[in-house]
Amino acid sequence: MKWKLCIISLLTLVSLRAMADDSIYVKPSSPSRYDRRVNRYRKNWGALIPTLFVFQNAGNMGTLSGGIGWDYGRRKQWETELMFGFVPKHQSHRTKVTMTLKENYLPWSIGMKHGWSIEPLSASFYLNTIFGHEFWKQQPSRYPKGYYKLLSTRVRVNIAIGQHITWQIPQERRHMSRSISLFYEVSTCDWYIVSKVVDWGGIPLRDIVGLSFGVKFQTL
Amino acid sequence: MKKLLILLLFSLVSFSSCDDIFKTHPYDVNFKHPHHINAQQIIRIETDFADSDTLRVAFISDTHGWMTHTKQELDMLNERKDVDFVIHCGDLTDTGMRYEFERARDMLSRLRYPYVALIGNHDFLGTGEEAYEVIWGEKNFSFIAGGVKFVCLDTSALEYDYMAMVPDLDYMEYEATRDSSRFDRTVVVMHVPPSSEEFNKNLRKTFRYYLSLFPNLQFCVFGHNHHTYEEEMYNDGLMFYGVGSAEKHQCRLFTITRNDYEVETLYY
Repeated sequence: MKWKLCIISLLTLVSLRAMADDSIYVKPSSPSRYDRRVNRYRKNWGALIPTLFVFQNAGNMGTLSGGIGWDYGRRKQWETELMFGFVPKHQSHRTKVTMTLKENYLPWSIGMKHGWSIEPLSASFYLNTIFGHEFWKQQPSRYPKGYYKLLSTRVRVNIAIGQHITWQIPQERRHMSRSISLFYEVSTCDWYIVSKVVDWGGIPLRDIVGLSFGVKFQTL
Repeated sequence: MKKLLILLLFSLVSFSSCDDIFKTHPYDVNFKHPHHINAQQIIRIETDFADSDTLRVAFISDTHGWMTHTKQELDMLNERKDVDFVIHCGDLTDTGMRYEFERARDMLSRLRYPYVALIGNHDFLGTGEEAYEVIWGEKNFSFIAGGVKFVCLDTSALEYDYMAMVPDLDYMEYEATRDSSRFDRTVVVMHVPPSSEEFNKNLRKTFRYYLSLFPNLQFCVFGHNHHTYEEEMYNDGLMFYGVGSAEKHQCRLFTITRNDYEVETLYY
């Protein structure tokens, strides 16, 4: 009898426990302050993961430049890119490295068949800096004030307009990126514009604008 | 995917070799021929005017980015047909950019006369100094025509932060006696005059001493100040002639004879 009671009470205990596990209602464990902080921390740092990779030639930033970028905005119409490029040695003393911070605005995207789309306008603004002792950000102190009425030989302010064509890679064929865009743009920089303004008739347009081709891989 | 990427990158690089449509960088030192123009032109000058009794030398200066003005200046000289050769006293560009140098080179090639060009302080900016050396050559150079040695000196000392011997006194000393059998008079040309803040103040007196080494120094010519101007800078009879800029539509024409010289200012 004693044994019977013992077994019954044990079974009851086990079944009760099982019932508790099976229960639909689980008391919500509210995230602690620490959990919330970690979530925010992950989300904020996660925003820094580049969403795209970009390569382009010319554009007053070197023979070839490549870098990372982020797209954002409700329709992902804004892009910020950080690129590094190089200017080959050619007839100078050494190869030079350039760095570019570029902001693109792509207001429209027109969808087409088979995952293709066209962005009929891209407007860009970018700052390019070239590394080397022969370039200065500001006129060095050896010169009298306002000696060269220039901003900087190191940093060029550029503007560009262009067009993109994008292919959304089908799910099953995606390997590294979600979509690939090919683009071209026509660009000029502050000093080219100044030289044109100083001598409007004497400087041909082809001297101040340049063409670039590029490719963009959308990874996220 | 990888193949596609490599193909795309390869095509981007090969596209970039078409320099005319693709602008790599304002300070890319990448010039097609002709290179070392001064050396080639000096051969022309030294053969054509070796035995001239009278030399007619036009001096232009500070053409910078004013291509329309420069074109008018060169057309005016070309129309005269009485000039032997032309000396550009420096400041071929505003900021030493590649396309400025190419424009200046192409513009000066319009001249029907042989010409040489000095480096000016603006031509040092960025990679300008390297670009000048590729296109025109050495920054100090000389040539002899009709018994007159023309010594062209880089005097933009401030561009070196006064850390180099500019003007190069050793070069001046060397040129004072080199080929002495072929010349009996000297003309010294520079971009920055000794009176300028761009000139090395510590070398002003020394520079005058080294000038005195040149046999029968006739006069000095300079640019930089953008206006037609003349002064005995050392108050000792040696004349310094300033050449106006292309924008001011002024240049100088010197007629150098065996015993004398004449100078006129050309307006156009």
